[in-house]
Amino acid sequence: MSEYTPFEMIAYTGSRVLEDERIVFVGTGLPIIAAMHAQLTHAPNLYMIYEAGSLAPILEMGMPLSVGDTRAARKACYLKGLCGAFELTQRGCADYAFIGGAQVDMYGNICSTIEGNNYDKPGIRFPGSGGAGAMAANCEKTIAIMALEKRRFVKKLDFVTSIGFGDGSPDYREKAGVLGSGPYRVITNQALFGFDEETRRMTLLEVKPGRTPQEIQDLVDFELIIPPDVKEMAEPTDEDLRLLRDVIDAEGYFLKRVIKK
Amino acid sequence: MINNVSSKIKNISTLQYKEKKFEYWGPTPDEARKSMVEKSHALKDKRVTLKEAVAAHVKDGINLGIGGFVNTRVPVAIIHEIIRHGARDLTLSFQSNSICPELLAGAMILDPDRVSIRRVELAWWGYEIIGIAPLVRYLSTNGIIEMDDYTNYGMSVRFKAASMGIPFIPVRDHGGSDMELVNRGKMIECPFTGKNVYLLPACHPDVGIVHTTAADMYGNARIFGAYCTCPEIAMASTTTIMTAEKVISTDNIRSYPNLTEIPYPVVDTVTEQPYGSYPGASYGYYWFDMDHMKMFRSLCDDFRKTGNKEGLKKYYDEYIFSCDTYDDFLEKVGYKTLKKLKDMDGGQAIILT
Repeated sequence: MSEYTPFEMIAYTGSRVLEDERIVFVGTGLPIIAAMHAQLTHAPNLYMIYEAGSLAPILEMGMPLSVGDTRAARKACYLKGLCGAFELTQRGCADYAFIGGAQVDMYGNICSTIEGNNYDKPGIRFPGSGGAGAMAANCEKTIAIMALEKRRFVKKLDFVTSIGFGDGSPDYREKAGVLGSGPYRVITNQALFGFDEETRRMTLLEVKPGRTPQEIQDLVDFELIIPPDVKEMAEPTDEDLRLLRDVIDAEGYFLKRVIKK
Repeated sequence: MINNVSSKIKNISTLQYKEKKFEYWGPTPDEARKSMVEKSHALKDKRVTLKEAVAAHVKDGINLGIGGFVNTRVPVAIIHEIIRHGARDLTLSFQSNSICPELLAGAMILDPDRVSIRRVELAWWGYEIIGIAPLVRYLSTNGIIEMDDYTNYGMSVRFKAASMGIPFIPVRDHGGSDMELVNRGKMIECPFTGKNVYLLPACHPDVGIVHTTAADMYGNARIFGAYCTCPEIAMASTTTIMTAEKVISTDNIRSYPNLTEIPYPVVDTVTEQPYGSYPGASYGYYWFDMDHMKMFRSLCDDFRKTGNKEGLKKYYDEYIFSCDTYDDFLEKVGYKTLKKLKDMDGGQAIILT
């Protein structure tokens, strides 16, 4: 088996999580790559929504570099604007939200607005919700990509941008007026997380071969649920890596990025 | 009836914020209705230069609604003219944008007596693949501008509510997130289902700026590629300034009226401006110029990191202030660059006939 990078592991795991005959509302970067990989392998009937307004495009111009890229509109089945894309979602056509963020808590709430908790004068201002808050509210299941670091898997967020299970109470999402069932998977390059049905808390499902559940817990600031049957994450094959490197992101826009510390 | 039920009482983050008193950040629905009624609704030639359009309609203190989405069909030509003209104390409204608000922010940093931003109602401000937007980070973290956060759907549907002539619209997002606390929406109990539903106020800009694929001289416009939120912004705004890649005949518009996404009564000025979104993209014409965006962004980032405005000043002097029109700017960009971007669009299909 070939060596693979953290980004390649995330994209490959994202692809594995997506089922065929579903619609995924994608964010820029690794979510698009994961969905394209799924289409080329186990999920030929998986389709994408791009928030600028396109449904089920054929990406023959190459991978869109952003969700607003004109390439994402190529040969779509339906092409409107943001209202069109999000109203399809609110109506129930989008099965997966595929988003990222700066911080996540144990109930899958995500921050992508500020760091430092003073809204009027934050320590860092991020770009903002973009589509993420609406996707996490109204796609049926939310998949998040995060870097596995203690400062990102936090006890309390600085700002809740994208709703997860709130404070974990069973009716939080209903009282919030949102429609989707909520957090489904959190993907990192070293572990795959799900959520416990009973408590709605983040649960360790799989670890990268060679890592132990305790090593993963050490990178998380809140207490994970660690069931006895934690599995090993599947690793990308040579063919998966060829698709990712030579077919999907052939110019290396996302997969060859250098990780900044 | 107002029932604050979700994150307000459950406090799931550590957020601290100032309560905002509700007010519309631009014309109220009644004011917007009145201005539309008072306009001539005749089919008349609205073609003017951008200089004339901006001089006539862009004033201090307005809410400026910016069309496009991130790097796509962004109204950069109009923004350049607004910077040359000057506009202070602006409220900006958009869903997601990159270089348009950054250009205004840079102009403010260079000379706040010419251009200044007071507050922004938005969903997202950044460059996606190219990186974060340095100037919003600078202005926001220093408490210089007030922010009001929504989702992309939230901002889009606020323009849509305004375009429908209604004062608010119910949505199924924002609730239970901290946007519920900091923005100007409200959670209520639905009078029909008895369940909680979030309401967003309509957003009427004083001036909406949009770039379209094609329009006739009256302002009937076609958009190919994603509409983004351009039809809604044009219809929501008290005044709409439009650039079009190409002005086409009204006979063509009337041959396929279904293709008209922006109807003439909501448009005040039309200016044919090829490459009017450059360095952004316009479907069917040209792809975005990543190198130019990166170059401008790095000058902004240098300022953010060092406080040195020299690089920024040179950019504005070279590309905006020493240009009389956008065509002068495009001439500096050069034919070879524009041709390359045209090729990179790949000839996406548009209908001009």
